[in-house]
Amino acid sequence: MKKRIVSVLLTTALTASLLAGCGGKSLEDQSGAQEGGDAAAAEAVEMAAAEDVDGTEITFWHSMGGVNGEAIDELVSRFNEENEYGITVVSEFQGEYDDALNKLKSAQIGNMGADLVQVYEIGTRFMIDSGWIVPMQQMIDEDGYDLSQIEPNLAAYYTIDDQLYSMPFNSSTPLMYYNKDMFDKAGITEVPTSLEGIEAIGDQLLNEGGAGEVMSLSIYGWFFEQFLGKQGLDYANNGNGREEAATAVAFDENGGAKNILDAWKSLNDKGYAPIVGKGGDAGLADFSSGKSAITLGSTASLKQILQDVNGKFEVGTAYFPSVKDSDEGGVSIGGASLWALNNQDPKKLRATWEFVKFLVSPESQAYWNAQTGYFPVTVAAQEEQVFKDNIAQYPQFQTAIDQLHDSSPEYVGALLSVFSEARATVESEIESMLNGNETSDEAVANMAETINSSIEEYSLVNE
Amino acid sequence: MNAVKKSKWNASPYFYLVPCMLVFAVFLFYPFFKTIFLSLFLTDKMGQAKVFVGMQNYMDLLTSESFRNSLKVTLIFVVIVVVGGMLLGLIAAVLCNKAFPGIRFFSTSYALPMAIASSSAAMIFEIMLHPTVGIVNKMLGLDINWLNNPDTALYCVAILTAWLNSGINFLYFSAGLGNIDETIYERASVDGAGSIQKFFSLTLPGLSPIMFYTLVVNIIQAFQSFGQIKILTEGGPDEATNVIVYSIYRDAFFNYRFGSAAAQSVILFIIVMLITLVMFRIEKKGVSY
Repeated sequence: MKKRIVSVLLTTALTASLLAGCGGKSLEDQSGAQEGGDAAAAEAVEMAAAEDVDGTEITFWHSMGGVNGEAIDELVSRFNEENEYGITVVSEFQGEYDDALNKLKSAQIGNMGADLVQVYEIGTRFMIDSGWIVPMQQMIDEDGYDLSQIEPNLAAYYTIDDQLYSMPFNSSTPLMYYNKDMFDKAGITEVPTSLEGIEAIGDQLLNEGGAGEVMSLSIYGWFFEQFLGKQGLDYANNGNGREEAATAVAFDENGGAKNILDAWKSLNDKGYAPIVGKGGDAGLADFSSGKSAITLGSTASLKQILQDVNGKFEVGTAYFPSVKDSDEGGVSIGGASLWALNNQDPKKLRATWEFVKFLVSPESQAYWNAQTGYFPVTVAAQEEQVFKDNIAQYPQFQTAIDQLHDSSPEYVGALLSVFSEARATVESEIESMLNGNETSDEAVANMAETINSSIEEYSLVNE
Repeated sequence: MNAVKKSKWNASPYFYLVPCMLVFAVFLFYPFFKTIFLSLFLTDKMGQAKVFVGMQNYMDLLTSESFRNSLKVTLIFVVIVVVGGMLLGLIAAVLCNKAFPGIRFFSTSYALPMAIASSSAAMIFEIMLHPTVGIVNKMLGLDINWLNNPDTALYCVAILTAWLNSGINFLYFSAGLGNIDETIYERASVDGAGSIQKFFSLTLPGLSPIMFYTLVVNIIQAFQSFGQIKILTEGGPDEATNVIVYSIYRDAFFNYRFGSAAAQSVILFIIVMLITLVMFRIEKKGVSY
């Protein structure tokens, strides 16, 4: 009998912990929201003068692990040593972008969070709507900072209603990587600029170039967004969500999504682009191991790819492909930017701004670019010796810079409140289509329906 | 058991329960009721209950194909993990119950999975199962994209989990075997029982109490598996590994729909509760203490 009671208790506890494990976090957010709501309406705060901030300590939350994290730590310690204002920056790694954003939500309870936080590009709409932030533009104006130092195409992404909301920091653009040796062997001299073009040379690469697969094209929502931009079409309505918050997607009605999916499916059906997985990195291993002739990836992957390939073959870089050769459009950016949080403390705000200025200074950006492969956000960084050495070593990076400069700010990409969810929806529908469970028309319809209802629910509950 | 007279109510024993109950209240009961409360609402991006929708979250879930798929996937997953994990543990424990040279080495290696965090194991398997550079395809001479093929992904994740769980099961079963009186085997031998007969007539019944406990714990654990799914498949491909716990995580911390996530938690709780109740029914018949 005793044993029975013990075991009943044990199981109840275990089953209940199942529920608690799931509910616990939402609870934290819950209690945070009540007080956080008031902070949302907080009045503007002005910066203190630079001379007054001696001894101020600010907290910087970032999501850079590994090599990138080391580079951040180096920049932070340089700032702590070199800055003449007596500012101390404490940098804290808060996990991946999603995790960091979740932690930020919980931490906003009583301004226990950070002073400066790195948020990924698709969190932009959320941050603007949150009411927790001080737009960068305010500090730029107060300090008389010359914004033309920042790459215009990067700044454009974070500029809404002529205000720069956050400072671009680690920006990347997508590139097409190709195996030059295979191209030479197959006798292909002209690098394709579109999916259509890749399809046309598929057999050549397989039969003559010795490729195991033509293209390791990972299912990644960011690529889908780029393919839309390359067609010059909008992702969402209301001017891609930039004039006003988007209320629905636009890619179903403007036909952009169907073009992409049809081209993708066709590449897949012919065996040129088998399913290699979801997410940004899924296609890289096939490329680096010499199996696929082409892959798509972020500029930030360049260094990793070159290291993995390790001279086995020559890596070429080209502009991100369009869907059809006739398409006219451009690429937008990915990565993350820096957001100043409103903690009602003029000194901290000034300290934050000084630190931001340091991070985007040509010197820091040249170092950052060389260490990580992210785009130098400051134009003048290209004059730095560190940058010149780096580009001499990795001439492929020049493609990324040319591509960004060739692209017009009008293809800057969409803003959407539910972007991370939308991206995941796009990925799973593409996957479903490639697995033969639905046609491209059905996939597009499902994407639009799911994302639109998410937007609707979001606007219903977040008035 | 009845040292205290029933007529005289004594409060002091209940005080001893207070610390434990406090911890339970903060970490279990409050979140439990809060979860039920949240499941009746739509929540905003902060996870705050905003719009009361009653049973709508539940209705949406029960009519959604995606959630039905999650239920199906979860059940298949749990069956593979529980059966696989317990069989592995049991076989290993029976094999190691005999004394032979190197026994310590074998015991340690069978118990080892217990010490590996599910996430680290998942990361190792991710490389091993990689279609191009992974050792599994190289050794088998195959070209299967294990984790991105809807037909194989669930089995890969489930087998990994079964192996991970087998370590602790091995330990339980070893302890259980140690408790079985050696002499009954001797007597059975004298009576002419073969080793298979001995296993089914003596070992299994002797193990039944620990077996029951292991079964309950394993089932609950299997329902809660998360890390390896997040790392290996993220619920994909095409929702083939979208077990309920992962789906809850997705809804709550990715889509910020705590209402729907809470409703899923409640449904999962009910399922686990029902299974547990059914098992206690069975216990009365099958388990001999």
